Amino acid sequence: MSPDTAPCGGLPGDRLLEGHAVLVTGGASGLGLGMASAMAAHGAAVMLACRRLETGEPAAASLRDAGYDVTCIRCDVTSAEDLRAAVDATIAAHGRLDCMVHNAIASTGGPTLIHEIARQHWDAMVSTTIRATFEGARAAHPHLRDAGGSMILMTSSAGMEGSASLPVYAMVKAAQRTIAKGLAAEWGPDGIRVNCIAPVALTPAMERAYAENPVLQERLLERTPLGRIGHPLDDVGPVAVFLASDMARFMTGQTLVVDGGGFLGL
Amino acid sequence: MADGTRTLLVGNGPLADGLHDGLVDRGHLVAQVVPVRSDDWTDVGTGIGTGVGLIGRPDLVVHVPPIPAGPVALVDQSTQQWVEACELPMAEAFAVARACLPYLSERARLVWVVPTVAMGGAAGFVGSAAACEGIRALAKSAARQWGPDGPTTAVLAVAPEVALPPDTDPAARIPGAIALTGPALGRPGDAYGDLAPLLDLLAAPAARFMTGVTLVADGGVWMAP
Repeated sequence: MSPDTAPCGGLPGDRLLEGHAVLVTGGASGLGLGMASAMAAHGAAVMLACRRLETGEPAAASLRDAGYDVTCIRCDVTSAEDLRAAVDATIAAHGRLDCMVHNAIASTGGPTLIHEIARQHWDAMVSTTIRATFEGARAAHPHLRDAGGSMILMTSSAGMEGSASLPVYAMVKAAQRTIAKGLAAEWGPDGIRVNCIAPVALTPAMERAYAENPVLQERLLERTPLGRIGHPLDDVGPVAVFLASDMARFMTGQTLVVDGGGFLGL
Repeated sequence: MADGTRTLLVGNGPLADGLHDGLVDRGHLVAQVVPVRSDDWTDVGTGIGTGVGLIGRPDLVVHVPPIPAGPVALVDQSTQQWVEACELPMAEAFAVARACLPYLSERARLVWVVPTVAMGGAAGFVGSAAACEGIRALAKSAARQWGPDGPTTAVLAVAPEVALPPDTDPAARIPGAIALTGPALGRPGDAYGDLAPLLDLLAAPAARFMTGVTLVADGGVWMAP
């Protein structure tokens, strides 16, 4: 059996990320914390990159209390310097970077009309998503190449089907998905995989969205065959573990929709 | 639709110029405007207002977003190059949608013309491809938001060879160049004869029930659903 066809050596009950180092932006709560927790539970050393240490550090501490290897660094993803520092801190702490998850995003706000959207909202959405992906990818690339690692970007079904209420969010999430495809093509020869997760999960951001758009929860549930909204740790976390692991070693440029079947357009 | 269709064309370069000539020859009254500062929504709005002043309220608005030459690997790009490849075209497209809306009747249509790399991504054009996919999402969102009484939208996805700048390195590993087979129709098409007629079609009342859609016109390379 050639090395290329050797078993990948990972089964669902295993610790799939043992010896891995992972960097998660927006890791203090919601999806970021859910994915980080799942990856830590699978043996990864996790660096939470958080805009506010006052929320990030308690999150990291609670995971350490659970026996996981988790640290936190302050990181405003709109700053290229902060992103580089987060990558450098991961290397300093763990000597490697196997996976970077870019999850952070500015608040989407409530439903907005295209002709009423403020420039400030546009700039915040662009800087925290596609610009941060660019700067983060540049910083992480040499280390991901050394580790044969992967990058995970967060997208949304809104980016695939459009959104009447959140048009800028839909744009940047669509762009994230094509960034992943392009990077998958560019970085494949370096042994780096790049994939996307399109989740729907009950997070603080989702709860704010419910408050700003009272019909949102009902509509989401109506279109979800599995009849519930996902959980950041239990439903989305395992998918992040899978994509970061050797189990997904032949997957790149792909989007996994983790929403209970709400979006079936792929 | 043809004769008398008032068309506002936003953008420049060989693709936009070919569309201009093709639409004029099909009887459109065309005003072509070129935003000076893509990231300045006011500047884009001023340009659109000027174009509307020349032809009246448009029946068709066509935006050809700017795409810098390449390929350039993402890790070799400066932040400014990234902004020009990805963020400015998206901002310009958004500004076009904002600025033209007050001038559009419920019978009007807004069309963006982008390369098919939007859907498939492209090494060396990561930012440009991402911007174009963001614009496709804008077309869908605008269609949903503007609803049954608003203007319609569409995207015309064309071969990368047609949409990318003429000084693009021919060795660029764009999907059309690395497809297992070439275009089913044997050529990537041209703006004047192959693509302008499709814009004419999209402006016709007969196409009114299509909105938010992407029409792929690359000679038969991209056939994914």
